[in-house]
Amino acid sequence: MLFSSISFIYYFLPLLLIIYFIIPKKHKNKVLLLFSLLFYFLGEPKYIIILILSCLINYIIGNLIYKNKYKKVYLIIGILYNVIQLLIFKYTNFFIENINNIFNSNISYLYIIMPIGISFFTFQALGYIIDIYRIKHKPAKNIIDFMTYICLFPQLIAGPIVRYYDIEKDLISRETSYEKFSEGIKRFTIGLSKKVLIANVIGELLKNLIDVNLLSSWLKPILYTLQLYFDFSGYSDMAIGLGLMLGFRFLENFNYPLISATITEFWRRWHISLSSWFKDYIYIPLGGNRVGKLKNLRNIFIVWCLTGFWHGASRNFIIWGLYFAILLSIEKLFLKKYLDKTKIIKYLYTSVLIIISFLIFNTTKASNIIIEIKNMFLLNNIPLYSKETLYHIKSNFILIFISIISATPICKNIINKLNKTKWKKTINILEPITYVILLILCTAFLIDESFNPFLYFRF
Amino acid sequence: MKDKIITYIFVGYILIFSILGIIIPDKEISINERRKLSIFPQFKISNEYITKLDTYLVEHFPLRENYRTIKAFYNYKVLNKLDNNNIYLKDNKIYKSNYPTNYNSIDYFKEHIYKINSLLNTSNNTYIAIIPDKNYYIKDKNFLQIDYDYIYNEINNIGLNNIDLRTVLNENDYYETDTHWKQENLSKIVKVLNENMSFGYKDTYYKENIYNNFYGVYYGESAIKRKPENITYLTNEMIDNVEVKYLENKNLNKIYNIENLNSFDPYEVYLDGASSYIELYNNYSTSDKELIIFRDSFASSITPLLIKYYKKITLIDNRYINSNNFMNLIEFNNQDVLFLYSTLIVNNSLSLKN
Repeated sequence: MLFSSISFIYYFLPLLLIIYFIIPKKHKNKVLLLFSLLFYFLGEPKYIIILILSCLINYIIGNLIYKNKYKKVYLIIGILYNVIQLLIFKYTNFFIENINNIFNSNISYLYIIMPIGISFFTFQALGYIIDIYRIKHKPAKNIIDFMTYICLFPQLIAGPIVRYYDIEKDLISRETSYEKFSEGIKRFTIGLSKKVLIANVIGELLKNLIDVNLLSSWLKPILYTLQLYFDFSGYSDMAIGLGLMLGFRFLENFNYPLISATITEFWRRWHISLSSWFKDYIYIPLGGNRVGKLKNLRNIFIVWCLTGFWHGASRNFIIWGLYFAILLSIEKLFLKKYLDKTKIIKYLYTSVLIIISFLIFNTTKASNIIIEIKNMFLLNNIPLYSKETLYHIKSNFILIFISIISATPICKNIINKLNKTKWKKTINILEPITYVILLILCTAFLIDESFNPFLYFRF
Repeated sequence: MKDKIITYIFVGYILIFSILGIIIPDKEISINERRKLSIFPQFKISNEYITKLDTYLVEHFPLRENYRTIKAFYNYKVLNKLDNNNIYLKDNKIYKSNYPTNYNSIDYFKEHIYKINSLLNTSNNTYIAIIPDKNYYIKDKNFLQIDYDYIYNEINNIGLNNIDLRTVLNENDYYETDTHWKQENLSKIVKVLNENMSFGYKDTYYKENIYNNFYGVYYGESAIKRKPENITYLTNEMIDNVEVKYLENKNLNKIYNIENLNSFDPYEVYLDGASSYIELYNNYSTSDKELIIFRDSFASSITPLLIKYYKKITLIDNRYINSNNFMNLIEFNNQDVLFLYSTLIVNNSLSLKN
């Protein structure tokens, strides 16, 4: 089930909210768990057993680590269970493909469908047992609370990767208020608008950009970067918003990453919950930057290979991870101090490299990555522009402009400033109206997707 | 206070529409889409269930058409987009882009014509006329067009007697809300065909029968509200007495199926819409000539204006019948043969059966 669907917004969500706010506090987690399992079941009915099994095993292992003297043994068992589960479901066919390529063998692919959200709930479970081992928190009081933490539907299938200690208090007892609920509504509506009104529309535009020319070679990766940002940050906004409606406060997952001045800064702003997960559970245990230069570089390469690999079982994701490992190493070694002395160049440098990174991210065939990059720098014999590309720019100019502005904190800053002036009253009136308009527009776009004219006698 | 307002508006809005969605009876059909809507899916443990459920809920969502209008308005007026779902609005006319040029389809179309031509008898007089779709005449430099020159060059290279209709038609010869040409404007096409086929054109009187509530196929797709337009079907004594045999609809024996004026697609008034094989017999004819038209739906409205010059016209739509089947129904011998297709089919020809 998707947040950006009519079934979720108009049926699942109101039903949940009605029951959730009617029942007594002590049963709220049970209701949340039931609805979270229903949410997962509707999208992935057969694999719900994997999710439940993962919850039970990690709950038991967490308790064993906490209570038992063989902490390390149970921790290793827990890590192995989670990593093997992820490897089997996400990477088996990738390994078979590579073995076949390297050894010229002919091992058949296995019919394995990756359970939705497995990368996210496995990482949450791993963080949970590691933090118990590190005595950062105690195990969950009961299986219901633990399963509610892992299965909590706002963050179950696409993050953010929430740490147990961040929402432990909320899991046990949380306050709901009009303030929190309306904040959640606003956040959810903004996320929904990012996804439906921007990301999906840019996705359609990308499908229509067929001609190959210099202009389109830049436009496509720029649009893809914007699409990915609005899609992913939109989902995170919806998750955070839903969390707030239910009384949870999740940490931020994006902080305007496309305005970053360096690649190092970009990764402090993009998918924060994932990069901080890798930092806390891989980079720092390897020694982080408190080791020699060479070891530090090794650590960076290990973490970024894994980050790339986490995104998908495909070579372009590994190349994408290595690409960032190289850039971050170069910045760390010498480039950052030079960049700090410039103003415009560092933004230009970062923007171009981010755009190229998402070109790699989006291009599954490695050989095509080189072609696309060559096109961007006119190293292939291509025209400068075409009528088709100009048409799409003209037709989508306002959309692209809105997207770029919305990827920066300009609007937020203007509203914050106006809120301190006599305009505050006007903003207070306009704010609810704006959210209603956004909800109506999102509904209109979701409904229009279903329009499917019967073309039997069209021509 | 503001928080309370936002909470009540949001919850109220989604609750109202979810309740309305449940209590309003489901519609069976969507007139704008010309299709049946989905029914509530029976529960099954499968990944597709939620997709089916979502499709059902969206298709039966209260005020669905109004929401589509809101989206179209937002795209045209707020985002200033040139099109919405490939639909262009220009001078009160609705156009649908068929861009880009599908070169594979053009090759396939040529192969198809070669194949059919190889089945004909040497005594047949063979012609080809490709009707430009109305996008050809759009007066907007921004509009993305398929490569019409390429299409017409390729058609010319087939080697049949090619009748070029591009300079004869203009944008007003097509319905504002539909893809098709208007029957009442087609006498000039009959004249041009006659210049090449020499069937003896004469000015003819027709009575204009006007149905004034016609919304074409693009109206529904555009989601923009507008007034209906007229659809006209031409009759005279000769047309009224033409005997028609439809392969599929045995109950009908007339050129026009008036009942279709109130159906999904009023254009189906002409020769009952989609039909694989039709024979028209003109008992008033003094000529012994016969005409065979391999065709798409554009031929349905021009055929009534051609029957005057022939004893018999046979219409074959290869989208619904292949050559093995129509060869059992017809014998090629000395007839005029006209391949009459629109560029829409040429650019999207994979539905033609060999």
